[in-house]
Amino acid sequence: MTRYYLHINNGGGYSEDLEGQELPDLEAARAAAIEGVRSLLSEEARQGRLDLSGRIEIADGSGNILLVVPFCDAVELRRDEQRL
Amino acid sequence: MIERHLLKLRARDMVSPEEEQAIRDSIAEVRSFRADEIIVHAGRVMTYSVMLLDGILCRYKDLSDGQRQITELHVPGDFADLHSFTLKRLDHSVMTLTPCRAALVPHEKLEQITERFPHLTRLYWFTTNIDAAIHREWEVSLGRRTALSRIAALFCEIKVRLEIVGLTEGMSYDFNLTQTDLAECVGLTPIHVNRTLKELRERGLVQFKGGRVTIHDWDRLARVGEFDPAYLYVEEWHL
Repeated sequence: MTRYYLHINNGGGYSEDLEGQELPDLEAARAAAIEGVRSLLSEEARQGRLDLSGRIEIADGSGNILLVVPFCDAVELRRDEQRL
Repeated sequence: MIERHLLKLRARDMVSPEEEQAIRDSIAEVRSFRADEIIVHAGRVMTYSVMLLDGILCRYKDLSDGQRQITELHVPGDFADLHSFTLKRLDHSVMTLTPCRAALVPHEKLEQITERFPHLTRLYWFTTNIDAAIHREWEVSLGRRTALSRIAALFCEIKVRLEIVGLTEGMSYDFNLTQTDLAECVGLTPIHVNRTLKELRERGLVQFKGGRVTIHDWDRLARVGEFDPAYLYVEEWHL
């Protein structure tokens, strides 16, 4: 297990993750980031707005950014007019 | 040793010296636990109930996809599973979130209390009703409240419960949970909790840092969390 720090950067500003999470690997950290973004966006959607311009920075204990996960990677958007 | 438990009970009703002695005599053993230890396993037959002396415990259920929902927190002075006296096999587990010390009370001792001390029995029944009231409040939070409101409500509830047992310093208290623990209480992700804590801090309501909660504006925090302490029944009863 490795400790990954998932910092948030979006319209609400920058939230540093001071605590981190113990996760098996970077892929698991990415999954946690995606899940976190979906949770943030679902709250925004309830309030009638959706800001997809943010990103999660996944860092290691030394502060090196290992991966950047854009919010738009967390959702698949459909905007076509077609009705099923 | 049971001072916090007595504070919790006496915040609601009288406890006679005989009743107090009966509680003291009911303790068979005191155990210490590390953080993140499961101390009651769902589905296993229980022969004792656990009275928390120090630390924070939680009741929780695990989902098949690895997610966990904490359904109630326990503070010192609480019985974490008084209901295992009647239910025996619990539908949930209990684990430590911080290092804990707990007293084990054999069910046969509780049975003797029910036979010899009817008033104390009613008082214990009352405390399980408070647990049910806390569950209802959490149900409302999880089902309907915003992230901001859920966390505000939780910080308010724990402040009142710790205050009863003498574990607050003014508007501040030790609450050595991780953001992941908090996320499991309020049905969010650690990332969402992190963002929500930032908002609570920036609005000047409350700060959660280094395992400590400091409330800067109780009235506004309570308003955001729709917190009404009535569900904790902190008043003088004559049971």
